[in-house]
Amino acid sequence: MIERRWETRLLALLAAVLVVFGLVAVYGASSLVTTPAGDVGAGFALRQLFGAIAGGIVATVVARSDYHRWQRAAWPLLAATALLLLIPLLPFTRSIAPAINGARRWVSFGFVTVQPSELAKFTVVVWCAMLAAKKGEQIRTFRLGVLPFLTVLMPLLALIFFEPNLSMALLVAVLAGVVLFTAGARIGHFLVLAVGSAPLLFSAVASAQYRLARVLTFLNPGSAPAEATWQVHQSLVGIGAGKLLGVGLGQGQQKLGYLPYAYSDFIFSTIGEEWGFVGVSVMLLLLGTFVWLGFRIARSADSRFGQLLAVGLTGSIGISAILHVGVTLALLPTTGVTLPFISYGRSSLFMSLLVTGVLVSVGEGRGGVGR
Amino acid sequence: MAKLAVRLQVIQAAMFVGLVALIGRAAQVQLVQGRRWASEAQIQRTEHIVLSARRGALLDRYGTPLALTQETYHVGVAPNELRDPERDGATLARQLHLALPDVRQTLSRRYAYFAGPFSAIQVQPLRAMRGVHLEAVVNRFYPRPELAHAVIGRVGDDGRGASGLELVLDSVLTGRPGAAVVLKDRAGREYESPARVIAPPVAGSDVVLTLDAELQDIAQRALDDAMRRTKADGGDVVMLDPATGEVLAVASRRRDGAVRASAFTDTFEPGSIAKIFAAGALLARGLVAPDERVSGEGGRYRLAKRTIVDEEPLPELTLADAIRVSSNIAIVKLAARLTPAAQYTTLRDFGFGAPTGIEFPTEAAGRLRPPVEWSRLSAASLAMGYELSVTTIQVAAAYGALANDGILLQPTLIRQIRGAEGDVVYRHRPEPVRRAVTADVARALRELLRGVVEHGTGTEAALATFPVAAKTGTARRVVRGRYAPGQYTASFAALFPADHPQIVLVVKIDNPRSGSYFASETAAPVTRSMLEQALAARDVALDRARLSTAAPRSPAAGPEEYGGVVPYVVTWPYQPDTAVPLFPPLARPRRPVPDVAGRNLREAVHVLHRQGFRVVLRGWGVARRTSPVAGDSAAPGSAVTLFAGPAPTPRAAPAPAPAPVPVPPTP
Repeated sequence: MIERRWETRLLALLAAVLVVFGLVAVYGASSLVTTPAGDVGAGFALRQLFGAIAGGIVATVVARSDYHRWQRAAWPLLAATALLLLIPLLPFTRSIAPAINGARRWVSFGFVTVQPSELAKFTVVVWCAMLAAKKGEQIRTFRLGVLPFLTVLMPLLALIFFEPNLSMALLVAVLAGVVLFTAGARIGHFLVLAVGSAPLLFSAVASAQYRLARVLTFLNPGSAPAEATWQVHQSLVGIGAGKLLGVGLGQGQQKLGYLPYAYSDFIFSTIGEEWGFVGVSVMLLLLGTFVWLGFRIARSADSRFGQLLAVGLTGSIGISAILHVGVTLALLPTTGVTLPFISYGRSSLFMSLLVTGVLVSVGEGRGGVGR
Repeated sequence: MAKLAVRLQVIQAAMFVGLVALIGRAAQVQLVQGRRWASEAQIQRTEHIVLSARRGALLDRYGTPLALTQETYHVGVAPNELRDPERDGATLARQLHLALPDVRQTLSRRYAYFAGPFSAIQVQPLRAMRGVHLEAVVNRFYPRPELAHAVIGRVGDDGRGASGLELVLDSVLTGRPGAAVVLKDRAGREYESPARVIAPPVAGSDVVLTLDAELQDIAQRALDDAMRRTKADGGDVVMLDPATGEVLAVASRRRDGAVRASAFTDTFEPGSIAKIFAAGALLARGLVAPDERVSGEGGRYRLAKRTIVDEEPLPELTLADAIRVSSNIAIVKLAARLTPAAQYTTLRDFGFGAPTGIEFPTEAAGRLRPPVEWSRLSAASLAMGYELSVTTIQVAAAYGALANDGILLQPTLIRQIRGAEGDVVYRHRPEPVRRAVTADVARALRELLRGVVEHGTGTEAALATFPVAAKTGTARRVVRGRYAPGQYTASFAALFPADHPQIVLVVKIDNPRSGSYFASETAAPVTRSMLEQALAARDVALDRARLSTAAPRSPAAGPEEYGGVVPYVVTWPYQPDTAVPLFPPLARPRRPVPDVAGRNLREAVHVLHRQGFRVVLRGWGVARRTSPVAGDSAAPGSAVTLFAGPAPTPRAAPAPAPAPVPVPPTP
């Protein structure tokens, strides 16, 4: 176990570097938004810093504890997540789950506000890894292998979808798929599921104006409504204006109202503007290295649960990052996916750090028992 | 587990493909298309703005502002953006001088708008307040809009001069606007920083006019009074400093309310006030001896097919008599000795038939026909002041030449131009046009004019204190090409004082309908009233030191004593009380001190000036009482102390409407 300690150390270091990078980027992108609102310029960055500290402490504790605990806690965790996801859907809970931008995605507990769907990314991966590890080769059958997963996950995804948060529901589904795929589920099953869910997906997109607009924008930028193209276009303007070396930290001007959510959903655009292609490449390579280390840890984990857990969690970081960057570069339709470690949002940051902690725990083989 | 490793490889490969795709796309956007995106960013975020330059001010000769450019503000408030509506509402009410309940009421709307306009000082504390949006408006402000309105003119909606001096001086007053590039956000709000100033604005030059606000005020009021009394169609008053050609006051009024500087733009046949120039031609050529007499012809003199009439004939007249009683017959008979060329040249030399060159956009040239176009009667007509048309300013300039020992000066309205940094870029110097007559002839002509006031048609203009030289003119008016029956132009040209004149004053009244139409009874008393007020006013550009030497009627003190340079502005060297003995203690009847309590200061001072009192001011605001008290009597020219205090309720009630000014009966 000693020989792979460098991977876990590097992973932790990468996480720390990314968090610091993120704090700086959040400060730069949010200061102009906060000042006219009568807030101190560093307000967003400070709140993010508290999230980072809390997440760091939890991650350290998790990293030093046995990851098999997650296996045992998988069912209760999933139940708790489902409960949390249910809260915003209930009509009498508006006081603790207010609508923000037309969606009720946050639950407030007074001292802390949680985004249950961020939590779902983690618990679904844990639960899938647990069940897939338990099923072993049974996973290749439909009735005993795939069907139980579908039975439990479909209602959960529905809860996320009705927040409404289609992209997060899709992301969670993809993560579950990654775990099952790694565990050895049949490719034929995936094809059937994909074909079967296509009409569902289509009707989901068509049911909401903003989703349709975003997809149309993506498919045909010229013909779509002006406001829908605006975000993507401004994101490209920002990134493009950064050219090779960027305009300099804090010097970006797209955040002057041109680019909405320059500190969260489009923070990569801000980074591209201020740090240029060099900064973009460094950022992507840092995240890529993180994912590569995650898969290395997965490959050499000391249990099947550990392997599947590491793959799923690494995938959650990697896929989120690809989605986020793809959106800002107009490679994907606009969705509100955060960039792990970087984007403003304490739930997202906390979960990223938790993932890091679990990966370190897996990597250091804190299972106690060998295979 | 081999299977797991393979599947993991697949996922890892997919991720790697994603990463490569993202980096490739980033390279495309940033490295290949970067320039295009950057220029688009530049275009959408920056804006070229024009930094407007302040338009120069117009000031009177002592620096009293007549036209200023000020920035005022409208205040818009978005009540939902206010941090503390209660406190901010109170601040707004206090700063904008509005009633608090009204402000609260307005703030209950979705967007509150206070049109104002409010001054920069008023809105300064509001700048930092969230939810308050200031809208700056640059506007031209005329502190006393009625003062010399037509001459000063106005600016158009585009901020450029549209009429009068604002138009003439537009290129001087307009500065050079600057330019800057500012950063703007999506909502169009501009950010102070980073802003790049390409060229700073250069403020326009300030122009100091020759006008004397005090004299201008006196002239306008006197003209208004005269118009009211005579029910005239219009009138002009021009006051000129003969030593420099500087116009001290120019007032024009039309009964229809039209704002027109008719003193510069409207021509009229001068009538008898032009007789002095025929006399000048005769004297200059030695064609008449001082004691030479011509027959008065019993008041009717037939010349060709025309009969020339004198209203009050004398049996025999010298040239002095002809001017004094304004005898048509005598001046026609004498002027017959002149060749047409000599008569024409003299009038031409005094500036008739050509624009004076004063800085006014639409100055009229008047008309003086050359001898080849004359009829047989033209010489006689011209001697009487007919068959030529002149403007009031031309008459003033020509009489100025008489006062200035025969040298015609170009009249001017501009005394000084100061650049944006206060440097003087132009200073007016007297601009001689030509010598019209010799100094001796000019002096002789002034003596003739003096006779008019002492014993002739101009006695109504006589002052007890100083001798005045003047000439009356009552000319028939031409309406639609023919002489209109019963319509006259009454005019009066005066030199004050007669020795070494300091003010040339020309009054013209068009078509007086009420009472006498003779200039001696219409224009002459107006002149006296103005001169009295000018003497009583403290700040008028009179060289009182020289007045005092002139007073004893000794022609000793000449301009030579001043090194040949006439100091046309000398600050009042005496304390008001010590100045009183300057006026000869004539047995003038004492006058009652009027009651001015409750009037605003300007009105009060004006009323006292009209009575011939000098005013010593104590305090500021509204007139309270005087010393001597109202109803008491004091000698004209003596000082009356006016005590003033703050208005009792300055905002609730406007300043008390000025009661009709009691006009002292003209003796």
